[in-house]
Amino acid sequence: MSYKIPMGPYHPGLEEPYKLDMICEGETVQDAELHIGFNFRGIEHLAETRNYIQVIALMERVCGICSNIHTLTLCQAMEQLTSLEPPPRAKYIRVVMAELERLHSHVLWAGIAAKLMGFKTMFMTCFALREKVMDVLQTISGNRVNYAMNCVGGVNRDIEDPAALIPLIDELEREMVRTVIPIFTTSSTARSRCAGIGVLTHEKAISCAVVGPTARASGVAQDLRRAAPYAAYAEMEFEVPVEQAGDVRARLFVRALEIIESCRILRQALTKMPVGEISTGTDKFTFATGTATSRVEAPRGEVMYSVSWKEGSRNPARVHVRTPTYANMPAVRWMVRGARLADTPLIQASIDPCYSCTDR
Amino acid sequence: MIALESIQLKLGIAEPWVESRGTHWLSPGSLGLRDVAKVMIESHARFITITCYQLPGVDGFRLEYHWDLDGCLVGIPFGIAGSSIDSIFDLSEAADWIEREIHEEYSIDFTGRAYEPLLLREGDKLGVNLRETATPGASAAGAAAQKEVAK
Repeated sequence: MSYKIPMGPYHPGLEEPYKLDMICEGETVQDAELHIGFNFRGIEHLAETRNYIQVIALMERVCGICSNIHTLTLCQAMEQLTSLEPPPRAKYIRVVMAELERLHSHVLWAGIAAKLMGFKTMFMTCFALREKVMDVLQTISGNRVNYAMNCVGGVNRDIEDPAALIPLIDELEREMVRTVIPIFTTSSTARSRCAGIGVLTHEKAISCAVVGPTARASGVAQDLRRAAPYAAYAEMEFEVPVEQAGDVRARLFVRALEIIESCRILRQALTKMPVGEISTGTDKFTFATGTATSRVEAPRGEVMYSVSWKEGSRNPARVHVRTPTYANMPAVRWMVRGARLADTPLIQASIDPCYSCTDR
Repeated sequence: MIALESIQLKLGIAEPWVESRGTHWLSPGSLGLRDVAKVMIESHARFITITCYQLPGVDGFRLEYHWDLDGCLVGIPFGIAGSSIDSIFDLSEAADWIEREIHEEYSIDFTGRAYEPLLLREGDKLGVNLRETATPGASAAGAAAQKEVAK
């Protein structure tokens, strides 16, 4: 006899509110239904009531982890509507902020995954490392969560001594390579909890159009930093890690390798950062009538903003946001099919879901 | 670029692609949404999202379908006079949530599919979030701005 087990919207196995109704036969999940929207905020509607400065502050709050990515994508779209080109130094600073945010997000996820595996010591180790990344972000921006770095035409704050940050990046990488990555990739505990569970096949990854590490762990080699470079990514050398297995372990591997690639990008950006202005410096610009679209590779995958403006208007006519979790979340239904009930918290966490983004 | 030309040929559209502010746009003319979606999927394009604009009065809505083609962002707009358009959920399951969201926010019916319980709102009242229902005032101005932009 099959029975339904609800997980969420408030549950110890979930970090944020959403509901997974699982139809089980014994301990095996046969199917699942997803329900979101418990904290839906109507931000797209709210954006139509904000001017071009206020809307940046608003969209920074779409996500609590990758807040910088949202303002970067929004500002890139608004720069197309205003024909403003950020100076080269601003583009490098945007890369530094984006990669630090990726590090911060991936280490946070590693900690939560460790906790769900019952690996509490690793959870504490990851969060201690995350603090160091946040210290670097605070040193640059003065803030720990909403960095307020991006503006139309550049960035708000300079990195006065980029070379001084390189030892911090070296230390972070050393810690990751020495402790976190080997334990996640070689320990029998991690292997037994992650290998072969929550599989998303390559075919299903394509039909569900998943993005980011979730897609790359199923053999879909897509990364906007490489396929459609923005900011200064065209000048960076890096690899795009891709795994084929499609299970939780593959998603873990992809993120672990991305941490190393992020450190590599950060070192290049900090070393090669050109001198010059950090923004166009003009406060007199006008928005052309029309729509502009911008995409960025966030820690969880592609973020897309479609921004429409009417010339002479203070506020955008429309701001549409497609977040990566919105694309990845429906695939959880396929990942949990056939899984043991006890594995489902880890499986849903393996896409690194962000309900703040989803319930935008 | 070869992929873009190939899609244009498959669809039989004479009008060229127009690159504008980050997107390659193609006007589908009289082609149906499902025919276009089939060609996009055959061409290994990845569905991204649908952006909906409400046009005031009897003008209806404009729905922009966004696809990724090896890093190239493609936009194909469809205008609808009423409040319904074909669903592409059976062709691309990635369209499921955004169709449900637009159904809820704008009260647009995607024909040919069933809706699971509401995604973002409780209750059975549709179109209460983004659809402009008020007559003159601030909201009507917002809709007018969208119409201007969507031209």
